[in-house]
Amino acid sequence: MEEYQPHHDEIGFNADEAHNIVKECIDAILGGVDYNQNNVNQWIAAIVEQSLTHLVKLGKTHKYIVTCAVMQKSGSGLHTASSCFWDTTSDGTCTIRWEN
Amino acid sequence: MSEIAKDKASRFLKKRGSMSSVNSPDIKMKEIYGRAKDSTSTVSYVDEPSHRDDASHLAVQMENTYQLGPSKCFPVDAVKHILKDVLTNYLQEEKYEPELCRQMTKTIAEVVKARVKDLMIPRYKLVVIIHIGQLNNQSLHIGSRCLWDDANDTFASFTFRNTSLFALATVYAVYLE
Repeated sequence: MEEYQPHHDEIGFNADEAHNIVKECIDAILGGVDYNQNNVNQWIAAIVEQSLTHLVKLGKTHKYIVTCAVMQKSGSGLHTASSCFWDTTSDGTCTIRWEN
Repeated sequence: MSEIAKDKASRFLKKRGSMSSVNSPDIKMKEIYGRAKDSTSTVSYVDEPSHRDDASHLAVQMENTYQLGPSKCFPVDAVKHILKDVLTNYLQEEKYEPELCRQMTKTIAEVVKARVKDLMIPRYKLVVIIHIGQLNNQSLHIGSRCLWDDANDTFASFTFRNTSLFALATVYAVYLE
């Protein structure tokens, strides 16, 4: 009987690849647009969906969580922090900051 | 059989125990948006555990448990209660200040993670994300989408607001198959 052995993630989570993929998605959707209250929901949905689709195409045995925050530049401050409890050999994180 | 051969045989047969060496690395990311007059200066740092390279060589092999689903469900309500508790206690009387909130986000993320870990839900990995921002009549949208197993994985989130700031805390729980 053949046993299915999912091969172990050689390098765990490839953050660079993910970084490039998501950055391209953001550039494509938000490149050159101004903040518009009506469109923000659409933008966020599009960014997140496209990123997820492209990440899935990598074919890795990973679950993905993609979060996107879009804020108007008005001089106010925003802080974000994250704390994760996982297996460092197979899991990782990647953050992209983008502004226009 | 000679003693040496016996030793070799026993070493061969020794299975690797199912130790789940899930160390709790604190991967903290923090971004600050400066408020200089006409330019936006941005500073960001990532604290990563320094032993990351070693860890990839020591990928732990775990035995099959033949378990199809989690033995204990992730208690979304209890976690939401924890989030509400922590955010209210830490931020009730605070005013927005860049330095204070910088520390606060990190601290709150750690505290929430520790408390959810205390619930001792086996085989669940946690991701805790905290956003703290100033209330300035500006607009902010935060969205998230996840690719996971809907039956076992879940999330809990809570928003807190006071006169000068808002805070959003989200905990994602991912089952380890």
